[in-house]
Parts: sequence; structure tokens; C-alpha cells
Amino acid sequence: MAAGQPRVFLVDDHELIRTGIRSELSGSLDIVGEADEVDAAIEMIVERTPDVVLLDVHMPGGGGLAVLNAVSHKCPDVRFLALSVSDSSEDVISLIRAGARGYVTKNISGPDLLDAIYRVAAGDAVFSPRLAGFVLDAFSLEGKSLEAGDVDPDLDLLTPRERQVLRLIARGYSYRDIATELEISSKTVESHVSSVLRKLQLSNRHQLSHWASERHLN
Amino acid sequence: MSIESPPRAVIGSPHRPFRRGVDNAILGGVCGGLAIRLGVNERTIRIIFSLLALASGVGLLLYMLLWLTLPRSNETQSIAHRLLGRRRELHRALFGLILVVGFIIVLDRLGIPSLGIYTWPFLLSLAALIGVWRGATPVEHVHLEELVRSAPLIRVPASPTKKNLLLRVLLGTVLVLLGLRTLSRLHGVWGGTTPVLFGTIILIAGMLILLAPWWLATLSELSGERRARVRVEERANVAAHLHDSVLQTLTLIERAAGDESAVVRLARNQERELRQWLFDPDHHVADDEVGTYASHLHAMESEIESDYGVKVELVVVGDCAADADVLALVAAGREAAINAARWSEAPLVSIYAEVEPTTVSLFVRDKGKGFDVETIPHDRQGIALSIRQRMCQHGGSSTLKSTPNVGTEVQLSLPRAT
Repeated sequence: MAAGQPRVFLVDDHELIRTGIRSELSGSLDIVGEADEVDAAIEMIVERTPDVVLLDVHMPGGGGLAVLNAVSHKCPDVRFLALSVSDSSEDVISLIRAGARGYVTKNISGPDLLDAIYRVAAGDAVFSPRLAGFVLDAFSLEGKSLEAGDVDPDLDLLTPRERQVLRLIARGYSYRDIATELEISSKTVESHVSSVLRKLQLSNRHQLSHWASERHLN
Repeated sequence: MSIESPPRAVIGSPHRPFRRGVDNAILGGVCGGLAIRLGVNERTIRIIFSLLALASGVGLLLYMLLWLTLPRSNETQSIAHRLLGRRRELHRALFGLILVVGFIIVLDRLGIPSLGIYTWPFLLSLAALIGVWRGATPVEHVHLEELVRSAPLIRVPASPTKKNLLLRVLLGTVLVLLGLRTLSRLHGVWGGTTPVLFGTIILIAGMLILLAPWWLATLSELSGERRARVRVEERANVAAHLHDSVLQTLTLIERAAGDESAVVRLARNQERELRQWLFDPDHHVADDEVGTYASHLHAMESEIESDYGVKVELVVVGDCAADADVLALVAAGREAAINAARWSEAPLVSIYAEVEPTTVSLFVRDKGKGFDVETIPHDRQGIALSIRQRMCQHGGSSTLKSTPNVGTEVQLSLPRAT
């Protein structure tokens, strides 16, 4: 186990998925444990404090959200990457709002998953094209839900640059492609994406809080 | 995020919104809810309501009215709202109301001393109670059933003893006889309404006590049976669907095991179909409709995925109606995507579509082998030309960017007709 490899914990109720991820990544990552249900996951994550938790969205007993809510205030340093079989953003937006640093779909290729895990471990955000599209939609300038007095420009509006970056992600550009295209550094791209993630988590825009409360009721 | 109501009244601190209580409910939770709303002790409210009910019956009517029209805490619709939403229930309710009002008017006309001032509130409340029973949610039904079950005398003990049974039969019989006797003492049909009502109530109470165990058992058996049947039907539905689609596809995959691209194509198709069935059951692209930009793009996505065995990642932001110009844009995009699927050797084609106030745009990108734009092979030049021509005809523009071994992107945009 080489030093500097992120310590990763797997949470998924499907044995096949866990086995697949483990066999694909065990050489490049330090996999410190895995769990197939919510309660065991919470207990072991708190005990082992991994760098990154790969978290299945849909599980019996509250799903990934229950794990995230239980662990995040006890171990603020543990970062979460949501793993979803469905690529509809509605499914993962509540996890992002609860603090996950991004999400990937289960049919992601091994190298891409590895890249995403390393990025999350470094404190960056992972946006898929679809999530970028959802954010552009949710933060659209035509948003009818915005009352003039309610807008907090720091949280409820995207800067033109952030919009540009999200558009490129939605078009299938990698962070490096974006840096080349906009002639800025990769670090700057990452900081734009992180700032969008923060807005996504904190904004009170109707479409976002709507999703959150809808999930909450379920 | 909804603001949680306190489960009980907090004295001195009124709380909005006005809802019927759940945790502090005895009957319908009206008093409990009112106590929470006003920040007053529940018992005070209950005493006031009882006094109002005794004084003129208005308390009773007010209670039933609130029961019907206030949503329960944690619920969004009131019973009345639910009843009004069902046409058949609405008809029944109207019919029942007319019947009750008619009955009372007849009593008044005949100058019969009925229950006096209690008549109206009592009968209307009875009608409201029936309404509550018909319109209550399953959760509230459980609460009401428990209430009936735990009522003294009607209560069915878990293990009925002989003594218990004897007491029940004895008491029930006495009450039934008493009721019948009161009724039989009347002179003529309308000898006096008070004994009629009084006798009827005693008779009903007696029968309730006698028949309660049997009635309650039937009730719970029925609802249990209904629930089981719904579950079986649901399961049959799921099984039928899984058999029709998933099992068939798995068989096809087994048969096509040697052909990698066929397997991928089958799996992708099945995945898309299953996903739609699971997560988006209401979404059917109607063939007869003109459709929107997004619906045409989604159709194109599935078509290219199944025809060329590549994964297409489509992201759409915004949407608009599909007029002739937009259809031309989609057609040009389709050519670009097919081009990418055929020649780029990339496993993934990314398509991004955006509708802005003044423009509609479409980006088709692959990370395939790319080519030098200056030396486009002839067979591909035709396609590039046809895309450009198509866009020009409709007042739009197209840009082609490609770098060998990095990828290709076709950018299409169209000004929006306003």
C-alpha cells in the first residue's frame, strides 16, 4: 500500500458492485472497508475515518442520505462521492445538498472513477455532464421563483464564468479540456466548480429546496 | 423543509398553521389542534366544547365542521377536500344531506316536539360523522378503528372469557329489550319523537354491544383481504413486466454472447427501457404530437444508441416547441452524432442542447481519433457540407472543430424566432 493513496470506504448493498469496484481499483487505492447496509456503514465509517466514502444512493433503511446525515457532523473530514445507478439528477441532488462532493453513475469506467475519487479526496467537486445541466437549469436566469428581495447574489446566482465552465462540462469536456479551452489553469477550473457546488448546497432557490423537501417527506 | 408542529400545546405560545392534532387527539384531534394553535391547555378547550355542545348543540356541530375541514397535522388535504375530489362521494354526501334536512323539515312541519334545539346539530353532526368515516385517510382510519375498539363495552378483549361473553350478551339483550319496549309503548306512528329517538338509540347501543366482536372481526378481515389482493396484483404486474422485457433481453444476451457490440446494445436498450418504467412511468413520447426540442433529442439519443452501439450522453437545458427550424437543427445534429458514432471510434458521444431566450444551440462531441479539418476525407466532407447547408437554409450556423487523437466537436446554433 503506497503512501498518498486515498483511503476509501465502499457502501453499497449489492455484492456484485462492491466486488467490481474493489477488483478494479484495489491496486490504486487503499480500500479500508465496505458495508452493505446503513447502520453498519455509519459505525465503521466513524471508526475508520476514511478519506473518501463511495456511497450508494439507493439502499434499504434510508439510503445514502441516512449515512451521510449520520456521519457528516461526527466526522467533517470524511468526504462523500455518491454512486448512483440512475443518472437523473433528482436522485442525487439531496445527497449533494446534504454534503456529498459529487456523484458518478455506476457504469462509469474504472479510470474515470479513480479520477473522480482522487479529485474528491483532494477536496474538489465532481460534476457529471448531467448534473451540470441540472444546475444550469436550476439556476436559470428566467427562474420564476426568485422574488426580488430574496436573492442572495453570493448564493443564488452563477457568475458568467461559472456558467461557462458548467456549459463545457455539460458538453462533455474534462477539467483539463476546459482549462485549455478557456485558457485558464486547471486549478482555476476546479475552484469554479467548487464554488458552484457550494452554491448548490446553500442556495435557497425554489427548485433546489423543492427537491430537498420532497425527498425529506419521502 | 416543513416546520414541525409541536405534538402538544405549548402553553402561552400560539403556533401556526391551524391543523388537527395527531399525538394529542382523542377523537378527531380538533381540540388538540386548537390548543396547539392558541397555546392553551387541551383540557380547557375540551371543557369549552363540551359546554357548548350541552348548551345548544352548537359545540358538537362546530367540532364536526372543523373535523371535516381542517387537514390533519402532517397531511395536506382535509377530509372535506378529499371527499369533494371524488365525484361518487360527492353525490352520496349531497344525497345524505338532502335526506337529513328533509327529515328535519318534516319533523318541524308536523309540529312534533323532537329533540328541540338539539335536532339540527345532532342530525347534521351524524351526517358529518359518516362523511369523516368515508373520507378519512388510512392512517386516520386506523386511529378511529382503535378508538371504536377501545371504547368501553364495545371493546373486544384479546382473549374473551366466558364471564365476559355472558356479561356482553346479558347487557346487550337487556338494552335491546328496553329499546323495543320504549318503541312499542308509542301510541300511533308519530306518538312522540323523543321516545322514538330515545328508543332507537338504546336499541342501536344494545345491538352494537351484542354484535361488536363479529362486526370488528369482519371489518379487519375485509381490509386485510383487500390489502393482500392489491399486493398480489401489484406483484403480478411487476412479474409480467420483468418477464416481458428483462427476461427476454437476458435470453437474447445469452444467445449473442459472442458478439460484444450486440450485447452492449441489448443491455443499453434494456437499461433505458427499465429505467423509464421505474422512474418515469408517466413519460411517454406521443407519436402523434409535434413534440418539443427535448423530446426529439431523446428519441434521437435512443435511436443512435441502438443503431450504432455507442453510448450517447444527452444533456438538455431548457426546452422549446419543435418548429421546422428546430427540426432541421435536430436533423443536422443527428448527422453529426451518427458521424461521430461511425468514424470516431470513441465509445461515447456527448450531446449538449441549450435553449436560451435568443438562440437554440446543439453541441455534438466525441473524444475519438479526430482528423485534420484541412484534409477531410471525401466521404466525410459530404456530411460536413450537408450539415452546414442545412443550418444555412434555416438561418443558423455551424462550426466544426477537430484535432487528431483528441476529438471532434460540431457546434450548431439557430436564432430563435420570437
